[in-house]
Amino acid sequence: MKQRALSLSKTLLLSHNSKGLPAIRCISTKEAIDRRHHLFDLEKKRQLENIGRIEKIEVNYKGVPNDCTLIMNKDISTPYDCARHLGEWHTESSALALLDGTVYWDMHRPLTENCTLELQRFNIAEPQQVNKAFWRTCSLVLGACATVAFKDSVPVHLHSFPGPDIRSGSFIYDIDLPTLPDWKPTPQELHTLSAEYVQLCRKQLPIERLDVSQELALEMFVDNQHKAKQIPSIAKATGKVSLYKVDKFVDISKGPLISNTAQIGRVAVTSVHALTGSPDSEVKKLYRFQGVALPTGVILNHFAFSILTERAKKLNSARSPINPFADQSNPAHESIAARA
Amino acid sequence: MTTSNMKLLCTVLGKMRIDNIITRSHFSHPRFRPPYWYLPKERVMSDELLTQENKDFLEEVKQDKLIHQSALVSPLANNEPQELVQWNPFTRRVGLIARKIGNYPMWSKDGKKFQTTLLQVVDNHVIKYIPPEEFKPMKSSKVVWKEKRKLGCLLIGSETIDPSTVTKEYCGLFNSVGMLPKKHLCRFMISPHAALPTGTPLFATHFRVGDHVDIRAKTMDRGFQGVMKRWGFKGMPASHGVTKTHRRPGNIGAGGEKARVWPGTKMPGHMGNRWRTLRGVKILRINTKHNILWTLGVAIPGETGAMCYLFDTVLPLKKLNTPPPFPTHPPVEDLPIEYHDESIHLFDEPTITFEES
Repeated sequence: MKQRALSLSKTLLLSHNSKGLPAIRCISTKEAIDRRHHLFDLEKKRQLENIGRIEKIEVNYKGVPNDCTLIMNKDISTPYDCARHLGEWHTESSALALLDGTVYWDMHRPLTENCTLELQRFNIAEPQQVNKAFWRTCSLVLGACATVAFKDSVPVHLHSFPGPDIRSGSFIYDIDLPTLPDWKPTPQELHTLSAEYVQLCRKQLPIERLDVSQELALEMFVDNQHKAKQIPSIAKATGKVSLYKVDKFVDISKGPLISNTAQIGRVAVTSVHALTGSPDSEVKKLYRFQGVALPTGVILNHFAFSILTERAKKLNSARSPINPFADQSNPAHESIAARA
Repeated sequence: MTTSNMKLLCTVLGKMRIDNIITRSHFSHPRFRPPYWYLPKERVMSDELLTQENKDFLEEVKQDKLIHQSALVSPLANNEPQELVQWNPFTRRVGLIARKIGNYPMWSKDGKKFQTTLLQVVDNHVIKYIPPEEFKPMKSSKVVWKEKRKLGCLLIGSETIDPSTVTKEYCGLFNSVGMLPKKHLCRFMISPHAALPTGTPLFATHFRVGDHVDIRAKTMDRGFQGVMKRWGFKGMPASHGVTKTHRRPGNIGAGGEKARVWPGTKMPGHMGNRWRTLRGVKILRINTKHNILWTLGVAIPGETGAMCYLFDTVLPLKKLNTPPPFPTHPPVEDLPIEYHDESIHLFDEPTITFEES
């Protein structure tokens, strides 16, 4: 399996400059996922080996039970490791880390220098960033769930997901399903998708982050044309692309994500809306998958949660990536009619 | 020949049992495991950390749903009934779920006092109608062939409750028809042409003053009772040398060939908390504002505050002769607040006078 993936990657590297389009289409979604996952692991190992001599950093932990100073390894230790020193409750409840009171850091991302660490849970006084990270994670996992849920004969090309907006009522992922021109999911199918999502969450998978160069990112996402087009613009700022891995599923995301899928509690995939592209875009149709979720430990009665689900069923008004200037509510048409 | 006749007579008479009168129905052992279709109703209420704003919003949503439900104008008031099947004496129409709220004395025009029971019909709505072909009750003692099934089942609910206080499965029963959950549910077996659409409200004016109803309810639970209260035994004298035997049953069997205690012998035991139907109860007064029925007598099974189910009587001399509000009384705005039977003495009438003879 490893050798096969390696040989595949070699042939693709060789044929990357020459038109390798026919070769890409032969790779099925499952093989592409395995390949990406394998490349992620290789890159992670390589980065770890590149560190060389292990240096120590001082991490000043502030919070419960008492403030303390931890001596951790530079570029190896993560805030999760610091939490492990403090106790199991800290490892399970912390979703994000706050460095020096300003920078929000992923729990499984290695620390680079001396800093002040605060662990952020869901029930703190100012949870805005944690909530955004939660919503972002839910979108990412929705993409993971969609790639797994469809049959092998249906290719799934993930397009993107916008920045988190909790007030909109749902988290979204725009997905391209080229072989399904007109798909309206039945309630049973939505139920199945939700069940897949819940299964993924119950596996309690940690969410790992990796910063890779633009070339490697393009290499990994060679089968997904949408992501391949987005990578240059993502890497423009720093030259690096931040990838997140959730048990074999790798995706691109900018901001911090929460530490473990076990922290996603009640979740429901509520609806799928079809987005039509503007006439001049290449992508003609995208499916907007919408869902709503609550962190683990939040107790809510079924009636209140049903109100949230009903709200999440409505089409999310976030901008469509293929038709950014079209107004969903069409006020232009109304004003034309009013003027006429 | 006489001896053989004698023997025949003896065997026949020997089979007759005059001292053992089994009055109890068939004893069924208590079932501790619920059937497969059972949906738990009560929900473990946990402390929900909602902000005050969110709590107010939830209350608003519930109020909106309630208003929306009660605003469902029943088709009886709206469209002219297309094929309103006429009532005939063999039609079985729906009943009501009522709550026994107390007793009150009333006087007849002859000056005679009698006690009445007040039954309040609270927030009754039709939940679902199941036609005879689809109705398959869990328990059926006799095999009823499909062709013979003539009665449909109408599910009525009373007293709307907060959906967040009950389980999701119980709410699902009502959500599937678009209603808020109810505290009590009851089946009424009706003729198919007496069926009503979901959401139809039922009021006390479904019955009229002077009608007779059958009331089915669970009797008061009296717990473990002795033989005097339970079976009406006479007991023994309180004094005159009677030793340690004042309320005991005394003899429980005879000797002879079958020298044992017969099954069904009356003994102390649990009394009450059984379903009983009281037949032919007369309705004397109806209050349309609060949906209350005044019924003659105080022997309605159950305590004050217990639920009871009202049906049209099956007694032949007290059955309906004239067409009642069929299928039910529609919600009408201007109704007189009280309806009285002719035999009742109203307090604003002149007092009853008797001639001295």
